[in-house]
Amino acid sequence: MKYLNEVWSSRELLFNLVSREVRGKYKRTIFGQLWSLVNPLALMLIYTFVFGLIFRSNPPPGDPSGLDVFPLWLLCGLLPWIFFSTVVSTSAGSLVANAGLIQKVAFSRIVLPLSTVGSTAYNWAFEMAVLLIAIVVAGGFVWPWIPLLIVAMALLAVFAAGIGLLFSIFTVYFRDTQYLLGILLQFWIYLTPIIYPISLVSNESAKHGGLLGTPVTLLGIYDLNPMVHFVAIFRELIYDNRWPDPAEWLICVIWAAAAAGFGMLVFRKNEPKLAEAL
Amino acid sequence: MTDIAVRVDHVTKSFRMYHERNQSLKSAIMRRRRSVYEDFLALKDVSFDVPVGSTFGLIGSNGSGKSTLLKCLANIYRPNQGSITHFGKIAAMLEVGSGFHHELSGRENIFLNGSILGMSRKEITRKFDEIVAFSGVEQFIDQPVKNYSSGMYVRLGFAVAINVEPDILVVDEVLAVGDQEFQDKCYQKFRDLKAAGRTVILVSHSMETVQSMCDHAAWLSHGELKAVGSAEPTIKSYLDSLSHDG
Repeated sequence: MKYLNEVWSSRELLFNLVSREVRGKYKRTIFGQLWSLVNPLALMLIYTFVFGLIFRSNPPPGDPSGLDVFPLWLLCGLLPWIFFSTVVSTSAGSLVANAGLIQKVAFSRIVLPLSTVGSTAYNWAFEMAVLLIAIVVAGGFVWPWIPLLIVAMALLAVFAAGIGLLFSIFTVYFRDTQYLLGILLQFWIYLTPIIYPISLVSNESAKHGGLLGTPVTLLGIYDLNPMVHFVAIFRELIYDNRWPDPAEWLICVIWAAAAAGFGMLVFRKNEPKLAEAL
Repeated sequence: MTDIAVRVDHVTKSFRMYHERNQSLKSAIMRRRRSVYEDFLALKDVSFDVPVGSTFGLIGSNGSGKSTLLKCLANIYRPNQGSITHFGKIAAMLEVGSGFHHELSGRENIFLNGSILGMSRKEITRKFDEIVAFSGVEQFIDQPVKNYSSGMYVRLGFAVAINVEPDILVVDEVLAVGDQEFQDKCYQKFRDLKAAGRTVILVSHSMETVQSMCDHAAWLSHGELKAVGSAEPTIKSYLDSLSHDG
């Protein structure tokens, strides 16, 4: 509790660091903030070509929205994923990148990884706004779901922050973490139903039934991935325009709380040693 | 009680000197044990009190533990044993311009740097003109700091740091920057702080500086406290020891 207070009292610093990132990032580029849209758009084109046209991953149309546009369906999962993976990989390097500051000034170190969450969230909010407009143009009815969408975004941000805190500490002690993390995130995106519908996994799982005679199914193992549930919530809200399953909400809340709690615990325990370890 | 600004109580600080450090996963797995290290004692059981309103100098040769002690005072390192108690708000100036963002303007960096050093937005707004005037970069305040000369950069950083106005200010050897005019300004600022009853703790290799500014001093040698007290006798015994050795 005391630690949360300390973090809360550094909110002004946190805000300043976030605006440093946001304002410094696209300085001296001609297209400025538009660059933050380019990366998701490029990925969208690639995945739409490969998985929408060649492999025909054919996701079911939105129910009840009736939307059936692969790129939009893809982006509903891809944008949260890009946010998550960017937060995890940049906050992992945030302590090492600011080693000079940590060794010279005493301040609450947790603001460094947390500020990457803030600046990435800023770009993400911008991307999501563009996606919502595209969905409205395509005929979706998203307006009533926006408050819930914001709640879901906040939950994912908390989850990503927790994981980012953990990796920021690992990276200080093991510099290999940053490279390992790139590979881990590659695996992770393909283990999450972002570019293919989850129905492909559940069909396969139903075919095999319990693995090796146990009641554990393929889908049961697959569901252990928290991002499966986050992506499901985002798709249901924006693409299907319906109320997500309460069980999914509960799973996401638990994962977010667990990641943030554990991340803060580990961070707090290691914070006093950082100046020497770097 | 009230006349002590900082109490350093039996502080010991050791560092691990790694012979083979497991900083990569591979070496950790290959060796299957903790890193090989030796403890190096940078500070050995140091205790002294810094009186309120004094200008306190830390002197000693290179590697005597001055900077380590300063970092302990600034809450950057935690001592292994013993404790350091502050009576009042403390701010440290170990490096100027830490946390400046090169692409941002001087104005934006004042706010950024100020909040890193623990000032609130309101405070910075209030002191903004003073900071700019002190740094002497008025003309370039809206330029990105990467275009600043190194002198301007340091002056701006120093101006922000000195305007934090803590009860206790900890300063590393940062005074050796800027031209004569700026240095005079800095000394004047230190005298003002002293007149306002604030405590300044500084590290310097220049005995002239210590002699002219400090009323108290502590002499460290190889991590041990050799002498502490009024500035003059402490400096004298330090200088004597130097002439004996060499």
